Amino acid sequence: MDVTTSDVLVEFSVAVQSLGALQAAAYRLIGTATCQIDRIADRWVCTLTPVSGSKKAPQGSAALEIHFLDLVTDENLRERIALRTDSVRNVILSLAFGSLAGSSNNDH
Amino acid sequence: MARFQPVEAFHPAEDTLQLLPFRFERAEGHYLVSNMVGDFVRLSSDELTRILDLRVRPGDGLYEKAYAAHLISGADQNAQRQLLAFRLRSRLAFLRETTPLHIFVVTLRCEHSCPYCQVSRQSTDRSRFDMSKETARRALDIAFESPARRIKIEFQGGEPLLNFALISTIVSAAKARAATADKKVDFVIASNLALLDDAILAFCKANDVLLSTSLDGPADLHNKNRPRPGGNSYELATKGIRRAQAVLGPERVGALMTTTEASLDRVEDIVDEYLRLNLDGIFLRPLSPYGFAVKTKAFRKYDATDWLTFYERGLKYILEINRCGRHFPEFYATLILKRMLTDRPLGYVDLRSPAGIGLGALVYNYDGKVFASDEGRMLAEMGDKTFELGHVTDSYRSLVLSDKLIELIGSSLTQCAPECADCVFETHCGADPVYHHATQADPIGIKPLSEFCARQKGVMRLLLRLLESSPQDAAILRRWGGM
Repeated sequence: MDVTTSDVLVEFSVAVQSLGALQAAAYRLIGTATCQIDRIADRWVCTLTPVSGSKKAPQGSAALEIHFLDLVTDENLRERIALRTDSVRNVILSLAFGSLAGSSNNDH
Repeated sequence: MARFQPVEAFHPAEDTLQLLPFRFERAEGHYLVSNMVGDFVRLSSDELTRILDLRVRPGDGLYEKAYAAHLISGADQNAQRQLLAFRLRSRLAFLRETTPLHIFVVTLRCEHSCPYCQVSRQSTDRSRFDMSKETARRALDIAFESPARRIKIEFQGGEPLLNFALISTIVSAAKARAATADKKVDFVIASNLALLDDAILAFCKANDVLLSTSLDGPADLHNKNRPRPGGNSYELATKGIRRAQAVLGPERVGALMTTTEASLDRVEDIVDEYLRLNLDGIFLRPLSPYGFAVKTKAFRKYDATDWLTFYERGLKYILEINRCGRHFPEFYATLILKRMLTDRPLGYVDLRSPAGIGLGALVYNYDGKVFASDEGRMLAEMGDKTFELGHVTDSYRSLVLSDKLIELIGSSLTQCAPECADCVFETHCGADPVYHHATQADPIGIKPLSEFCARQKGVMRLLLRLLESSPQDAAILRRWGGM
């Protein structure tokens, strides 16, 4: 792993942090910084490299780290919401467009 | 004497509450949250966490807030799920009226030479760029095969009035077919009006044809953007607008502006020009990355931030005009507001998911080629045939069910695209596979890099801010939105 002076390293425990949320946060960072995610032992190591000349990039390493941590926090929240609501979302979509749509007209 | 249970006895048990799907984004110290059909509510971090953990009770205020916003429901309560399903179905009901718009490119010739032209016009002396009668007849076959009960036939170019004879033939044929096909047909000619004369106006009046033209602002700005021999594009356009208003009625002629770099500091002048001409509103449109706009690099001369500054300044100026008593909507805001404030099915071709390519519009080029959108045709003029679906000799069904179109629409759905799927504005936004293909060579697009995405979010954030912070502006915006 090549790390330059402007890179920011952020680490997470694999025991508590999902890779999916990190990948989603890394995607949202496109245009601001690149994010390489490596697994080293029981840690996810995220290497953030600011995109030079980006208007969106937070000023300074600390600001970039905070921005990334906020994105990861939000993605973790989104994972929790999805876990709790995917089944009811599917029911609502079925009621709206699927095979339940016809029967719902009759029921109500 | 009857004895009542204490209030707590009527509270639902915590485990009988159910979380409903929602999306959120951070917004200056709090969270902007939208439910499955795009109703917005602002929550603090603590409120969001309590709702997520279902730590809410009747009477605590948050329970009522979350319930009203369709973020929670009773686990056994079917009505709320049904309500969300009905609303969702209503919002997407435009899908039942497939392909209501049919664009006929009757000629590619034009007597203008606009540097930002998105059609890559050809010079006027090249008659081989006119649509033939046979091509038009076959295109009409396809248009009348489409399931939509009401279709709109729009004539475009080049400058379509250079082939007015064919327009006349198509209108007559379409009206005759509509009478037997149980369809309603509307007609629009998109023209620079430079060639408008009494005979054309009389034809438009007799056949209920709408005129749509381009007006970029005051004379100096318009003529700079739209050069033609004689340098009198503005004079001809405004003269044409006035004549059309007088003959057809003010509501039968509309104008569209395109924002160039030269427009950015001139939004008030542009709006004043529309007011002076008694036009019924304005559409503050950004430049699209197609055709000559790409060749001349015109579209790279400002970014989404520049355009949003221009748009906000323009919208505030327009609201000020409305506050003084003149109804004068900004049409882009009106479109978004209808999405945000109502459940009406708005299938605006450029702002919907599933995308409007093919399902919302088909384009019949002068040479018989059929495209999924007007912008797709513009790309083809630049050598990119991604959105070319076939030929007028094909059937409607084979064009719309082609693997190519299904793949493009399926791969660009915002409902499941990265970042879009979780975007708080997804319900009111749209997929624009042509734009993202043109700018990123990818129909989905990398949304953090997308100027389309930045503009959409910027406009929606601005409208929400105005709706929440300014009662006077909110009243005007709600009226635009049809509330």
